[in-house]
Amino acid sequence: MKPQLTLQAPLELPYQEISNYLNQLWISEDEDSSGANTFTLMIWQPAWLEQCLVQSGLINGPITGTLSPEIIKVAKNLIIQKGLSRTCSINSQELLTLLKGDLTNKDYEDFRGQFFESSISTLNPRRLITLAPTLNKESEIKTFVSAYCPLSDNTVKQPICGDLVVIRGDSNSINKKGLKIINELSIKDLPTWLWWNGSLDESSEIFDYFTNHGIRLIIDTANGSPKRCLEILNQSINLNKAINDLNWVRLKSWRESLAMIFDPPSRRPVLEHITDIDIDIAGGNFLQALFLISWISDKLEWVFSKIDNNEGFIKIEFKRNNGEKILTSINHLPLGNPSIHSGQVIGLRLISKISEVQKNNTCVILGCESVECMRLEAGGMADMQLIEQVVPNTFSSSESDVSKLLGSSRGNTSPLFENAIKVSLEIFKSFNK
Amino acid sequence: MPSALSNPLRLGLRQERVIPPQCLVIFGASGDLTHRKLIPALFELYLQRRIPSEFAIVGCARRAWTDQEFNARMKAKLANQISGNEKEWEQFSNYLFYEPVDLQQNDHVVRLSKRLNEIDKLQATHGNKTFYLSVSPNFYASGCKALKAARLIDDPKKSRVVIEKPFGRDYSSAKKLNRIVQSCADESQIYRIDHYLGKETVQNILVMRFANTIFEPIWNRNYISSVQITSSETVGVEDRAGYYESSGALRDMLQNHLTQMLAVTAMEPPGKFEPEAIRNEKAKVLQASKLADEDEPWNCCIRGQYAEGGNSLKRLKGYRDEDGVNLNSTTETYIATKVFIDNWRWQGVPFYLRTGKRLPKRLGEIVLTFKDVPVHLFESTIINPSPNQLILRIQPNEGATFKFEVKSPGSGMKSRPVEMEFSYDESFGEPSDEGYVRLLADAMLSDPTLFTRSDEVEAAWKLYTPLIELMENAPWKLPIYKYESMTWGPPESDQLLSKDNIFWRRP
Repeated sequence: MKPQLTLQAPLELPYQEISNYLNQLWISEDEDSSGANTFTLMIWQPAWLEQCLVQSGLINGPITGTLSPEIIKVAKNLIIQKGLSRTCSINSQELLTLLKGDLTNKDYEDFRGQFFESSISTLNPRRLITLAPTLNKESEIKTFVSAYCPLSDNTVKQPICGDLVVIRGDSNSINKKGLKIINELSIKDLPTWLWWNGSLDESSEIFDYFTNHGIRLIIDTANGSPKRCLEILNQSINLNKAINDLNWVRLKSWRESLAMIFDPPSRRPVLEHITDIDIDIAGGNFLQALFLISWISDKLEWVFSKIDNNEGFIKIEFKRNNGEKILTSINHLPLGNPSIHSGQVIGLRLISKISEVQKNNTCVILGCESVECMRLEAGGMADMQLIEQVVPNTFSSSESDVSKLLGSSRGNTSPLFENAIKVSLEIFKSFNK
Repeated sequence: MPSALSNPLRLGLRQERVIPPQCLVIFGASGDLTHRKLIPALFELYLQRRIPSEFAIVGCARRAWTDQEFNARMKAKLANQISGNEKEWEQFSNYLFYEPVDLQQNDHVVRLSKRLNEIDKLQATHGNKTFYLSVSPNFYASGCKALKAARLIDDPKKSRVVIEKPFGRDYSSAKKLNRIVQSCADESQIYRIDHYLGKETVQNILVMRFANTIFEPIWNRNYISSVQITSSETVGVEDRAGYYESSGALRDMLQNHLTQMLAVTAMEPPGKFEPEAIRNEKAKVLQASKLADEDEPWNCCIRGQYAEGGNSLKRLKGYRDEDGVNLNSTTETYIATKVFIDNWRWQGVPFYLRTGKRLPKRLGEIVLTFKDVPVHLFESTIINPSPNQLILRIQPNEGATFKFEVKSPGSGMKSRPVEMEFSYDESFGEPSDEGYVRLLADAMLSDPTLFTRSDEVEAAWKLYTPLIELMENAPWKLPIYKYESMTWGPPESDQLLSKDNIFWRRP
């Protein structure tokens, strides 16, 4: 869906006046056109890559905060031109560090917070608050405000309206001044979500502010170090705070495909004799694969017994109730054209042995493309009963994933994810021992 | 056979829509439907964790029960379902309330309104209400008027009315009822329920047709020679004689369940999967449907009534010998009819619909028979090559079968039919929800996709108007043929098809 833009340029106001202005705005409207009774969505929107590319003159502005195909194309070309590894993701810190060295002082228009995907606007958020940190480290805080009424395909008697607030400035001024008004901007009785659309390793003071204020979180653990990401997840679970992870959401087709294979009752006994699971990932972040293994082990009631982390190859051992061992492994594969999300699962092989005779055993292979399936078939897998399926990694935009989450969430952490996090934390504790 | 062991990887994977906080008010709560279908469906939704914590179920009927009595009666009636889920029932029963109400008494409805306000505060249901009219059809109009007068359905976003079938007795009464109901509430608030549409297999017809490329190109008069829609029951009238005597198979089954299956099978693809787009297409196809011979409808309809039957160990009574049935009753317990659809897709393709009680099997199915090959190159092992058939099994043994010809093994080149099967049990291994589970959830979610709109109901009645008029004005022209219990209806119904050189499928 095309991004939507507010029809009117937002009004710039001193940050101290925003809350008052918005209160007045809704009071002055007649009773029927009060704002949507939905939720507040805050977005941490650094868009560092886009800011760097615009300031370097590599793409034209304005900055919108949307990861356009042009940005992806230019960033991928840069990775090659700058001599970075071809397996480097466009969201990597390496690329950003290189780009930050070449910045000019070029002026650019910043439209962050004024563009938002129609998949989000159709949910009629009551208030959209965009926190837009700037590359310039001495940028004073600026705040903008606007009302909007998304057009609907359906005929509605009265448009459902909301408002949007943009808080722009360097991270320091957002931390010191911007956060002061966040509390006032939260609408009582309506849930508030924060979508952290950036690396979880940065601006921890700002992030912690939100976790401490009972706001529901949407994060992406593909964008951050596993240690920091698991710390955040652990904290949320312990404090019983709702957290959703886009990296987990992107696993949906893998979970669904694997479950689908075992829907026919005739195949269910295979689950009781699994001996090996191998998961291939693209890129260095192993969290998504860890979540997948954790989900399987939780559902099949395996108990974690040990981990072996050797030269980037992670081997995790589980035990079944009857003491049988299950060996699982996470293997990093270098891909020339990696996903924009680091560490995405690209293949899964599951072996179930019920007999010494190979042909009586079963091998399940899920691959993101036929080549990956062929790779996983190696080693005589075809001697077993082979069940193969291609699970294409066709990612929807993060905005669309966020919209699905907002539309379906019950305001809590998904119980499946919560259980997978618990297993992942247990495994990770042994990781560095 | 479904496996007792469910797929552990499937648990929790389905993302079900969240039912918003609300109060469900059931009128007719002392009736059969409440304890046989509605409360079990709500308890099932609770077990599936789809009921929010801010929820209430208020049973209403004329009987002077208390909350506790209603609760105890439901517990006794649902004993089998509760067994093993006692703890869950205890929690679920906190949602149950009861208010004695006679919808004809204004002061009762005013009292109900006050009680609902109290329950709304107690259960934090945000003023959101769904009213379920599980009462005699005679009270649909007055029930809606009473709700309107008590201002209980003023807010179209926060109130809905679910109305059971039959909606009207004929075209004019349905039209009149629609006018009254629509004067009380917005059409978007009215949910006319047909539990057949809640069946997974009926919904699957839409998915099979519109999510695959292989079916749609041949789903028309160029390839399909006829369609048979059957819904048969093994039971007799049981304890429903009072209702059934004034209803009969046409009003009880044909006009609603079978006609909805016809609509879903024959409709054009909607532009979007949205409630109004789907209901528009269903309404259009029903409006284009007509009896095969409207001028002489006796030529395209057979009525029957079950006579005694069974075997020496278990003799079954005939319909007229059943308790509460008039000894000279002319109510049909079986009806078969032939319908055409006047549009580009279906011109000339006969749709045969049949339904009856005390037939040999309980089943629902749709059989699409394809045209014969233009030239028979191969001799068949049976007399003639059988035409290809796609059989959609609605119940039981839900699934689909495709029948086609293959080479019969051996040195010759003879053909013989074989069947390719899809079975819900074998593929998914888990039973699907009862129709009411799906439909109650949809109504509470304000999703009208699987509910019939006013124009659909009217079109369905209009389709059978020539038959209804004949039954009322000249019943001798549409005689009741007797059939032995546990047989496939009167022999005359076979003649309805044999005139076209077609036979009913013997399932």
